[in-house]
Amino acid sequence: MNNKIIEHYLSKLEQLEFKFKRHVQNNNEIHIELEDSSQLIEFCNILKLDMNLRLLTMIYCDERKINHAFSLRYLLGSDTDDVFLFVILFIDKKHAYFPSLSDVFPSSIKYEREINDMFGIQTQGDTTLKPLLLHDFQKNIFPLRKDFHANTELNYTPRKFKFTPITGDGICEIPVGPIHAGIIEPGHFRFSVIGENIVNMETRLGYAHKGIEKIAENMSINNVVFLSERISGDESVANSMAFCQAIEKISQLEIPEKAKQIRLLFAELERIYNHFGTLSGILNDIGFSYGASRLEILKEYVMQLNEKLSGSRLLFGVNQIGGVKIDISNTSLVDIHSMLDNIFQNFEKILEHIQSNSSVIDRLRNTGIIEKQTANDLGVVGLSSICTGIDTDTRKNHPYGYYSSINFEQTPRTYMEHQVKLQKRIGDVLSRFMSRVDELRYSKKLIKSISNLETGEINVPLESKLTPFSSGLGYAESHRGETLHWIMIGEDNSIFRYKIRTASFANWSIIEHAVLNNIVADFPVINKSFDFSYSGNDL
Amino acid sequence: MTENNQNKIKKSDILSWNKVTFDKILQSNDMIPENFRGKISLDPDKDFVLNSQIGQNLENICPTNAISYKNTLESISLDVGKCIFCGNCQQDMPKLIKISNNFDMAKKRKTHLLEVFPESVPFGKTYEEIGDELKNKINKTFGRSLAIREIDAGSCNGCEIEISALTNPIYDIEQFGMHFVASPRHADLLLVTGPASKNMEKALKIAYESTPEPKLVIAVGACACSGGIFGKNYATTGGIDSIVPVDVFIPGCPPRPQAILYGIMLALDKI
Repeated sequence: MNNKIIEHYLSKLEQLEFKFKRHVQNNNEIHIELEDSSQLIEFCNILKLDMNLRLLTMIYCDERKINHAFSLRYLLGSDTDDVFLFVILFIDKKHAYFPSLSDVFPSSIKYEREINDMFGIQTQGDTTLKPLLLHDFQKNIFPLRKDFHANTELNYTPRKFKFTPITGDGICEIPVGPIHAGIIEPGHFRFSVIGENIVNMETRLGYAHKGIEKIAENMSINNVVFLSERISGDESVANSMAFCQAIEKISQLEIPEKAKQIRLLFAELERIYNHFGTLSGILNDIGFSYGASRLEILKEYVMQLNEKLSGSRLLFGVNQIGGVKIDISNTSLVDIHSMLDNIFQNFEKILEHIQSNSSVIDRLRNTGIIEKQTANDLGVVGLSSICTGIDTDTRKNHPYGYYSSINFEQTPRTYMEHQVKLQKRIGDVLSRFMSRVDELRYSKKLIKSISNLETGEINVPLESKLTPFSSGLGYAESHRGETLHWIMIGEDNSIFRYKIRTASFANWSIIEHAVLNNIVADFPVINKSFDFSYSGNDL
Repeated sequence: MTENNQNKIKKSDILSWNKVTFDKILQSNDMIPENFRGKISLDPDKDFVLNSQIGQNLENICPTNAISYKNTLESISLDVGKCIFCGNCQQDMPKLIKISNNFDMAKKRKTHLLEVFPESVPFGKTYEEIGDELKNKINKTFGRSLAIREIDAGSCNGCEIEISALTNPIYDIEQFGMHFVASPRHADLLLVTGPASKNMEKALKIAYESTPEPKLVIAVGACACSGGIFGKNYATTGGIDSIVPVDVFIPGCPPRPQAILYGIMLALDKI
C-alpha cells in the first residue's frame, strides 16, 4: 500500500527538471540531495506548490567527523499521504551559511533562529536574527556543535534583548513574565496596547531551556527514554513513544501487537486527562469556576486511573524500547471502559450546562481568531490548526503502532472540516473548545474500540547493535499535535544527534497573531485555549 | 484490578457528587494504589550480601546517578533527591531496594535525602540541628495562614500539574489555610520547581529577594533538589539550592499532591 504512494511521489520527482540523488529508507522516508544546492529555494517552492507539501522541521547536524561538513535536512511532509521528504544540504567550511527558506515557508524563520543559536550558522545575507533559546550566554558558544561539551562552565553576561519597538500616540507597553500570576511555566510576553486593545505582542521564550538535545548525546539509549518523557511532563507518553518508535524503526524491531495496544491505551488516556485540564483552564480563565472545578474533578479521576494502571499519575515509565513496561489484563480493560463511561456520562452533563450558559459562550465566541492562511504559513499543527480546518492528525496521515489498524473514516477532524465549511468554526476560542470536546469523545471511542487485548509478550529486547550513523524519524500525535523525533545513531549504540520538534515549537508563533485586536484581559483565555508547552518549546 | 481495588474506588467515589473533598489527605492512604512508586529506600533482606558486582550494576542502571557505590568502603548510597522513580533498580535488586507507596519523603536538609548502606552512625547534635530549632520559633510568626507563590525555574511542567492539582476540589489546599498568590511580594513561601535553568536564574533571584521576610523556600521534585535527569550542564545549575537557600526538599518525579502538602507541613512544623 505504502509502496504505491512512495512510487507515485518518486515518479513525480523524476518529472521535475532538477538533478538529484535519492534513496528511500524506513518505508516512508525519501532522502534527496540536490546536485546544485543553489536551486534549493526553487526546488522547495515547487514541492510546496505542486505536491502540496509543508515544512515540518529543519534538522541541523554537526557531521564534520563523518562528512567534513555540517548537514541541514529540510523535512517536508504531506497532510494526506504517509510520506516524509528529507532535502539534504551540506554546508562546508567554504561558505558558512545556508539559504533562507522564509519566502517559501514563513515558518522556517523560527528554525533558522534556533540553528543560529545552537550552531552559529547564519542564513545567507541575514545577520539580524534574534536569539531564541540562549539568553545571557557568552558569545560564540554553540552548544550543539560536537566540540562543545555539555558540562562546560560558561560565563554569563546580561545581554539586552531587542523587542520590536512599537511607537505612536497613546501606545503603551506591558511586560509580562517570565514569572506569571498563575501556576504555569516561564515565558515573557511584551504587549503593545492602545487603551485595552493589543496592537502587537512579542513572545520571548527559552526560559526553560535545559539542553535536552545535548545531554541526550551523552546518555545510553535506554536512559534517553526517561529523558524524552521529561521533555514536557504532560506529553510523556507521546514523546517517549515517538522516541521509541524512531529507535525501533532504525533497528527494524517489530514490537508485539499487545504492546501496540497498550501504547494506544496510554496515549489516549493521556490525551483525555490533558483535554479535561485545558477545558477546565479555559473556564477558569473566564471566571466560570463552577464548570472549571467540575472538570478538574474529572481530570483528577483520570489521573488516578493512570496511577492505578501504571504507578505514575503522569504515566511516566510506561514505554521502553521494544514495547511497554506495564502490562494490562483484560479485567483491567473492562474497568477502564466502565470508568470512562462513568466519567463521560458526567462530562456530557457538565457540557450541557456549559453550552446553555450564554455568558460562557459569548465570552468564548469571536475571541482570539486565527485565520486559515496564517495557520498554514506558520506551519501550525494539531488542535490549533484543526479549528481553522487544516487536517494534520498524525494518527491518520502517518499511522503508527496500533493506529494503523483503526478505521479513520469519521474522525472529529472531518466533522470539524464540515463545520468550518458551514462557517460555524472560525478559529476562535470557542472552536478550539469544541474541537477539544470532539477529540475527547473520539479518544474514548478509540479506547473502547479495543475490546480484547492480544495475548503474549509486552516487550521484545533490542539485541542487535545499531548501525552507526543510521537515522530514523519517530512521530506521534500528542494532545497538542504532531510530535517529531529525529535520531541519528552514533558509535556503540549512543546517540549522535537527537532532534526534537514538539507541536508546541511549531505552534507558538501563532499566538502573536491570535491576540491581535483582542483586549489584554482576554490573553489568558486565548493562551489557555492553545495550551502550548513552554518546556516542550525550549527543550 | 482486583475486586478489593474496586471497593476502594467506590469508597472515594468522586463521581457520586456528594462529597468530594478529603479532609484528612495525609491519613487517607487508601486512595493511593499499591503500585504507585513512592518512598524508595535501602532496606536489605536478611540474606542480602553486598558485593562489588551488585554495587557496580546498580550504579550503572540508574539513569540519574542517584545510586553510587564506593569500592573502598564497600558501601552503597542512594540520593533520593536525584531519583526520578523509574523503578529500574528495584527490578534489578529487589532484595536491597524497596519502593513503597508512601509519600512522606520531604526532608529539611539535603544531606538527609542521602541513604547509605551499611549505615554510618550519627553523633551528637549538629550545628544545623540547633539552627533548625531556632528556625522553628521563626516559623510560628506565620500564624495560621500561608500565602504560597509557585515559581517554575525550567521544569518539564509535571510538577506544575501536581501543584495545580492541589487547588482542585479533591485536594483543596485552601482547607488548611493555604492559598496561591499572584506575586512573590505577597508570599510567605516559594514553591520552586525545575533544575533552575540558567535563563531563569536571574528571575528566581529577583523573586526571592522581593519575597518579604520571614520566608520559606521549598524545592519541589527531583530537578529542584538535584537537577534530576538533567543534572548540572551548560544550561542548568543543578538544583535550586545553588541559587537560593532552601528549607525543605521534596523528592519525587513529580511528587504527588500529598507529598507536596507533607513538605509544606514539614516546613511549617505542623507535623
